Amino acid sequence: MEMQKLRRRRLKGSPIFPKKMYAFVIPAFILFLTFWIFPVFQLFYYSFTNFNGINYHFDFIGFKNYFTLFHQGTLINSIKNTLIYTVLIVVGSNVLGLAVAMALNMKLKGKTFFRTCTFLPALFSAIVVGFIWSYVYMPDKGMIASLLELIGMDGSRFNVLGDFTWALYAIAAVEIWKSFGTTMIIYLAGLQTVDESLLEAGKIDGCTEWQLIRKIKLPLISSTITINVVLSVIAGLKAFDYAFIMTNGGPGKATNTLMYTIYKIAFNEQMMGKASAFSVVSFIVIILITISMLIFMNKREVEL
Amino acid sequence: MRKEGIKSGKVILYFLLIVFCALTISPLLIVLSSSLRVPENMQSPLILFNQFSLQSYIEAFQKMNFPTEFLNSLVTTTGSIILVVLLATMAAYPISRIKSRLSKGLYYFFIAGLIIPAQMVIVPIAQTFGNMNIPNTRFTPMIMFITCSLPFSTFLYAGFMKSVPVEIEESAYLDGANLWMRFSKIVFPLLKPATISVVITQAMWIWNDYFFPMVFVSKSAQYSLPIGMIQFMGDRENPAQWNILFASCILCALPMIIAFAVLQKQFINGIAAGAVKG
Amino acid sequence: MKFKKLCALSVAGAMILSALAGCGSSPSSDTNSTASQDSSAASDQKTAIVTMMVSGTEQPNDFETQILPKLVKEKYPNLHLEVTKLPDEQYYTALKTRLASGECPDMILVQPKYAGSNSVLGLAKAGYLAPLDDLSVLEKVGKAGTDPFTYEGKVYGVPEGVAILGTYYNKDIFKKCGITAEPKNWTEFLDVCKKLKAAGVQPIVMGDKDSYVMQFGLYQIAANQIYPKNKQFDDQLTTGKTKFTDKDTWDKVLSMYKTLYDNGYIEKNSLGLSAQQAIQKFVDGEAAMTFDGSFNATALNAKGAKDFERGYFPMPGNDVDQPIYGAVAMGAGPAIYANSKHIAECKQILEYWLDGESDLWKAFADSGRVVVAYGYGSDQTNPLFKPFVDLYAQNRSFYWCNQGWPAGTENEMEAQFGSMIGGQGTKVADITKAMQAKFDELTAG
Repeated sequence: MEMQKLRRRRLKGSPIFPKKMYAFVIPAFILFLTFWIFPVFQLFYYSFTNFNGINYHFDFIGFKNYFTLFHQGTLINSIKNTLIYTVLIVVGSNVLGLAVAMALNMKLKGKTFFRTCTFLPALFSAIVVGFIWSYVYMPDKGMIASLLELIGMDGSRFNVLGDFTWALYAIAAVEIWKSFGTTMIIYLAGLQTVDESLLEAGKIDGCTEWQLIRKIKLPLISSTITINVVLSVIAGLKAFDYAFIMTNGGPGKATNTLMYTIYKIAFNEQMMGKASAFSVVSFIVIILITISMLIFMNKREVEL
Repeated sequence: MRKEGIKSGKVILYFLLIVFCALTISPLLIVLSSSLRVPENMQSPLILFNQFSLQSYIEAFQKMNFPTEFLNSLVTTTGSIILVVLLATMAAYPISRIKSRLSKGLYYFFIAGLIIPAQMVIVPIAQTFGNMNIPNTRFTPMIMFITCSLPFSTFLYAGFMKSVPVEIEESAYLDGANLWMRFSKIVFPLLKPATISVVITQAMWIWNDYFFPMVFVSKSAQYSLPIGMIQFMGDRENPAQWNILFASCILCALPMIIAFAVLQKQFINGIAAGAVKG
Repeated sequence: MKFKKLCALSVAGAMILSALAGCGSSPSSDTNSTASQDSSAASDQKTAIVTMMVSGTEQPNDFETQILPKLVKEKYPNLHLEVTKLPDEQYYTALKTRLASGECPDMILVQPKYAGSNSVLGLAKAGYLAPLDDLSVLEKVGKAGTDPFTYEGKVYGVPEGVAILGTYYNKDIFKKCGITAEPKNWTEFLDVCKKLKAAGVQPIVMGDKDSYVMQFGLYQIAANQIYPKNKQFDDQLTTGKTKFTDKDTWDKVLSMYKTLYDNGYIEKNSLGLSAQQAIQKFVDGEAAMTFDGSFNATALNAKGAKDFERGYFPMPGNDVDQPIYGAVAMGAGPAIYANSKHIAECKQILEYWLDGESDLWKAFADSGRVVVAYGYGSDQTNPLFKPFVDLYAQNRSFYWCNQGWPAGTENEMEAQFGSMIGGQGTKVADITKAMQAKFDELTAG
């Protein structure tokens, strides 16, 4: 620890990594600033107007959009749905992705086949995925309902997408199904960097498989875990596709996520100003969650 | 004893993997079976494989103008990926190497980009394009593909660069290598696993994305595959031509599936061969 | 070494790019540039590329993307029409962003009055549309057709035809259950449902997961319960003279529709069914009726698991002593972008297309996509639509409610209604209150 600190201090002003290195960032920075950050600031500006997304003769109305937001219940409902969804995605796709990645990282026959299979869902577009899953979930005759009938249960009562409690879980399952392949690929990349000799040494010391995973593999891929967890948290917070394609935010407002609500306000109700205010609030919520998580994860990484 | 234990463990593992794969793929059977029906066959998609015809594929192929759209997709995806890899590795280099407030700030600056979904900012983005007089061509969406891929890729690279030991660079520095040489000859090759992740994940969304081409491409001769695909999609007043849509979806995904199956084997096994052990 | 490879690859990539850029732009822009060179010599030779964007789905032998450009080219060889067709939601997004970036197509599809994100009134108010008052075809379209497209005295769009909401039913099942006549009022309708249910048949199937289908039933009831009593109901919402919460207006409509759910006449799992799946169930003969529009006629007449004869009647939302009204509305239609460089050419196309007798019109009417209201084809409508066309001709029909509301009001209605039938404790009064609140919010902004 102490040594590292010393080295870091030595490197700080050292000619090995001089300040002019920052030139490397410039191309990405400019692109990002012009086509991403600048439009976002534009959105901040719209949040103080009654812009409808079409008519550019709009008025400045101050904080009115924000007041209406906090008066209506939609914000709370959307945040709640989004958080539940996020937790499901993070746990689901990471546990699945890591487990499959570890299995596939072993010396197995037909590895490529398995890898391709588990990755297949990720290659299909969300529209098609949404459509086929609405048949998987279909009441009475859908895939799951038929399976339930097959094992002697009452399939006609199975109606998850029409259920106010279960709809959110159902669309989260679809997102996990589609996204865990990507998570797995990143875990695979991380596992590739684990030095075989460490594992060999562990085996010689008589570690069980579980101990090898817990004590050697997981700590060594901690930065990969951080990356994946952060990415799925963000994917969860940005949830939009399946609420849009599969349930239209329904039944009622049971699957209204933050992004779906914003989309609905902006494009259906044509209140770009209010949607922008909604966006600003969600950005802040998401940034706070992400950054506090990053700090937490980085700390853990160092500890491990 | 122990050996047998391992063996039966492997059998269980195989069994689990096969069951898991079967479960994962089963919903996709709906796609495959429907795509093999003639366009007029509107029976429930849950009746699997009751007809085998390539007519939906032929129709999708012709209507999408597959060769042209395939080429458009290929060019925009490849071009964007190459640029993303280049720009993101470059950006991640100083961010992960210099320990200062500025680099930390830059790190969070790029991550902040991750959290913003494109649908929300698309109107101001389009305005920016309008203000800068950027015309609608087949290459215009590339600007947005690259911009949207940057946060993820930079984030991933910055994370992975931490595992590249500083010592290698120190010795190269003493040998008189300049910054660019160190970056391109030493650091970049060591990032191969991360590059594979970036290429696979980013190529996937760029290949499948219809949103930016829809907004930034005007002429049908310049369309990419996903746009050709959503033309078959329905809405409340016009039910979709599902069989053709499925066929077109498979046509659209097929190049990716093939590329993934072929490349991953070479790539991932290649790294395992020891490129990282430096 | 690896990096060299990458460099080589990117150079190769760049070369492909530039090569493609060269050849890709050749077919269209080359004609353009040669044309502009020639234009000084003979300006009438100039080829104009007119772009058009519509919403919908590609059909076999599609009218807009295939027939229309072809026939326009035949009539006007120097007019090259490029049509893009996108699904509704994608169309709205594309339209909004194209307007923002100034790359809007020359012609776009607009909806009557306030309906949707491409409502003619919203776009005209923002100054995006060119007035069409000098089109001679407007005379044929008539006042009933142009009224919903008029803003501050000027016409900004032309309806392609009328669209109908009704009740599709399975004649074979009706016969089997001893129902001989189509119901003529609400009591009779409930009676029919009761008989079907008693015979063990699911009376009605709806795909309420796609909540927009709730409009299909509700607007038919509203056409009987609201507008016959007060034609100005929606206009008066703006002035505050009427409200959604007024007694015996929307509360009645909503509770009438709710009866169908309370008695199990509409499939109990409807909230988990998609619109597509509901249509599937109807054509498979698993339910006797479904509420849907003329625009979905092809899908509803497709061959399913069972062969049967279809019928189509206006849902009788009328009380016993009242006449029946239909929900028949002006459909969407083309409009011209105000900043287009080809306004004259666009008008030329519209005059040709919508004149009621040209080859293009005939091809349009024969495509069967819309119910045309005048000229060739108006006398030989699909027999299914006959009762509706008759009601329309007798002035016994009203437009779809959402055309009179700012977009978003109907979504609130659907969400709240979904909560009610999903057993979330929402009451009819809560729905009307929420609709009024949404309406006020939307009109205030």
